[in-house]
Amino acid sequence: MTTQLSKYKDVTVGDCLPELRQAVDQAMIDAYADASGDVNPLHIDPEFAKTTFFGRTIAHGLLTLAFVSRVLSQWNWDGWAYGGELDVAFLGPVYPGDEVRVTGEIESIEQTDTGVYARCKLSCYCDERTVVKGTVVCEIK
Amino acid sequence: MSDYVKYNSMSEGDAFLDPPPSFQVNDEVVDKYIKSTNDLTDQLNVKDINGCRVAPPMLAAVYVIDALRTRVGPPGGIHAKQQFKFHRPAKVGETLYTSANVHRLYQKKERNYVEMTTETRNQLGELITSGLITRIWGKE
Repeated sequence: MTTQLSKYKDVTVGDCLPELRQAVDQAMIDAYADASGDVNPLHIDPEFAKTTFFGRTIAHGLLTLAFVSRVLSQWNWDGWAYGGELDVAFLGPVYPGDEVRVTGEIESIEQTDTGVYARCKLSCYCDERTVVKGTVVCEIK
Repeated sequence: MSDYVKYNSMSEGDAFLDPPPSFQVNDEVVDKYIKSTNDLTDQLNVKDINGCRVAPPMLAAVYVIDALRTRVGPPGGIHAKQQFKFHRPAKVGETLYTSANVHRLYQKKERNYVEMTTETRNQLGELITSGLITRIWGKE
């Protein structure tokens, strides 16, 4: 059985998660490629990237999700790291020189047999472009 | 002769990674990842209640991509959608094994799409991360 709540502990429907802004440059993309081992030339080889649909290098999708994870880790570490669920679509590329803005809003709070969970709408923007959109579910512990 | 996986060689239900590749979580990997993503989360600087250093939750996701890289599609593939459940963070000292299965193959706007389910477990079989990844396959 699921019960919808408007507030639980210090979390209220409509609350915004702390916003994060992170500048991305080619050096950061290269460092992420090195750390992750994902050396797809689309991310790190400007000459190859010129031949693709994008025309230039783009950041790894998981680099953008790492920024999302930073927001969620700092907002609700236990709920995110131990059972958090993420469902996102990559809607546009992040290019070197972009600033990624991560935003989130509590859409609902659900009490179930196993706990109380916050469902958050999530969006990442570069200026006015939406680059990632989706939802996150975290237990409120 | 290309050595990448051709779209038409895959079938729904196939194990994509057989055997599942393994990855060692060590301090160097975690440090590099934290630095490259500029992650200042406090919990990453302290050991957990069992005295273990935990990694950022998304690091296990990196291992998923790394595992999938052991059998790659043509250059230019794109990561389109991602679902993850983080059962618990990976810890330094663990060995992670990622398995992947082809879940669905379809075409949209003349592009080839692949959905794969993934599971990452440690050396004891404990589930760390599970997920569903959607990739647009690169042009062959």
